Amino acid sequence: MKIRLVLRRLLTLLGFFLVLSGEAAADLVVVVNARSGVAAMTRNEIVNIFFGRYRQFFNGLEAQPVDLVDSHPDRARFYAALVGKELAEVNAYWSRLVFSGRAQPPLKLNSSEEVLKYVAAQPGGIGFVELAKADARVRVVFEFKP
Amino acid sequence: MRPDRQQGMLKNIGRHGCIAWLACLLAGPLAAQEEPLFTVGGFGTLGATRTTSRDADFVRDLSQAVGAKDKWDGRVDSLLGAQATLHLAPGLHGVAQAVSSYGYDQSFRPRLSWAYLKYEPNAQLALRAGRVGTEFFMLSDSRQVGYSYLTVRPPGDYFWHLPFSSINGADVVAKMQLGEAIVQGKVYYGISDERLALADRVWKLEGSPMVGSYVEYQNGPWTARLSYANIEFRHDLPLGPVLNAYLPPALAKQAADYLAAGGTRSHYYSFGALYDRGPWQLQLMLNHVEQGSNAFQPSDAGYVLAGYRIGALTPYLGFSWVRSDRRGNTLNPVVAKIMADSHAHQNTSLLGARWDVARNVALKAQWDHIDGEPASIFPYRRETPAWDGKMDVFSLTLDFVF
Repeated sequence: MKIRLVLRRLLTLLGFFLVLSGEAAADLVVVVNARSGVAAMTRNEIVNIFFGRYRQFFNGLEAQPVDLVDSHPDRARFYAALVGKELAEVNAYWSRLVFSGRAQPPLKLNSSEEVLKYVAAQPGGIGFVELAKADARVRVVFEFKP
Repeated sequence: MRPDRQQGMLKNIGRHGCIAWLACLLAGPLAAQEEPLFTVGGFGTLGATRTTSRDADFVRDLSQAVGAKDKWDGRVDSLLGAQATLHLAPGLHGVAQAVSSYGYDQSFRPRLSWAYLKYEPNAQLALRAGRVGTEFFMLSDSRQVGYSYLTVRPPGDYFWHLPFSSINGADVVAKMQLGEAIVQGKVYYGISDERLALADRVWKLEGSPMVGSYVEYQNGPWTARLSYANIEFRHDLPLGPVLNAYLPPALAKQAADYLAAGGTRSHYYSFGALYDRGPWQLQLMLNHVEQGSNAFQPSDAGYVLAGYRIGALTPYLGFSWVRSDRRGNTLNPVVAKIMADSHAHQNTSLLGARWDVARNVALKAQWDHIDGEPASIFPYRRETPAWDGKMDVFSLTLDFVF
């Protein structure tokens, strides 16, 4: 009886930590312009746009991805959640594309507020912010689930 | 680096600096626009390489006239590149890129590697015209950008016989979406403007037309590509002095005809597959080269490479190989010796680590163990009769981008 209680408490505690770590990974979202006509996206579609493979939404609208500067903590979290990569690897990837002339990286902004303004102003704007910051100017199309 | 070369390079950099400064002034009034008008960037590698052999020079690729022996040598991998991009209009930009690396003329003389206008009317199409890069094999158009590579240099057995880096011409890339996957095709055509070092002479590729294409499939972490390219050489190999020195005029003429490269075509076929997600990076590449000239041997090569990132450190392990086939028969010993010069038969095991030590800076250390036949001499320079086909290569590099 006592052992069962301890086990149950341990499980509750474990569940609590899982939820906590889940929250930490889950609170970044990908947002698009509210009038883009895009309601939801898959991880691979986001990879295609942010890694310069194919900059167009499924409805034909040209995608204008916007990134954050390296020093912003959300940037590292975004690429870790999206493809499991460190910023050094993302930068190495872009150095290959830029110096071979294949593609230019997304514009880098300094803050989440600038990202929201950009996405709200550009019809094809797409960026990432914390869920709590995503307001009515933008539409959430992808949430990182644990 | 010779002092005069160095001065020349600094002068060039100074000139670029002026342009950048002017562009900044011009960009001032346009600061309200989100995209900058003018961007400059660059890449570089400081490398030190040594081998365990005194009987052959180890080179990065056939564009280098001399290479590393059993003492630390900074020439093989060290290079510096600078790129300027002028954003002219949405979807239209111009790029100029110059690279200073150790080349056929035994100097670090900078070379204009790219200078083109690129037009992207939509997500499906991109057109470039000017001096553009060739893509004989996957990843070959960025093989000087050490920072973009996991290994110290592109695996040698696969890439060393690829000295072609750019053409004056044009290319077209077309893309389409298939579900979540992207399929793209590229076609390029142009005229080479390059030179190669052969023995102590220079072989001109200038004027040689190249044409190539690939089809690439990208889906999530996977990328696969099939490529084909060919080059039609305009000039013969610089064999005249050797043939005339060892053969009577009539035989020398016959030998020169038999070994003619001018007017012949070499064909390059390749397949590449990459997996890149989370801590893993996996690469598999295979190529087959057909040669039109009796002076070169057709070959097959490939490599496998696996890296696994642990924090900022990515240890990697790879294996590469190359085999060439003897072709033609000759009773003339001088001709036979020249034909044997293009033989390659070796395996390389490589082990190393990349350490991303700071933002945009990586340190790498690598050990290559080359196990080949004594007759495998095409990949090397200045080999002696004592060459046994085996060496270990130790490399340290500091790669950076800015």
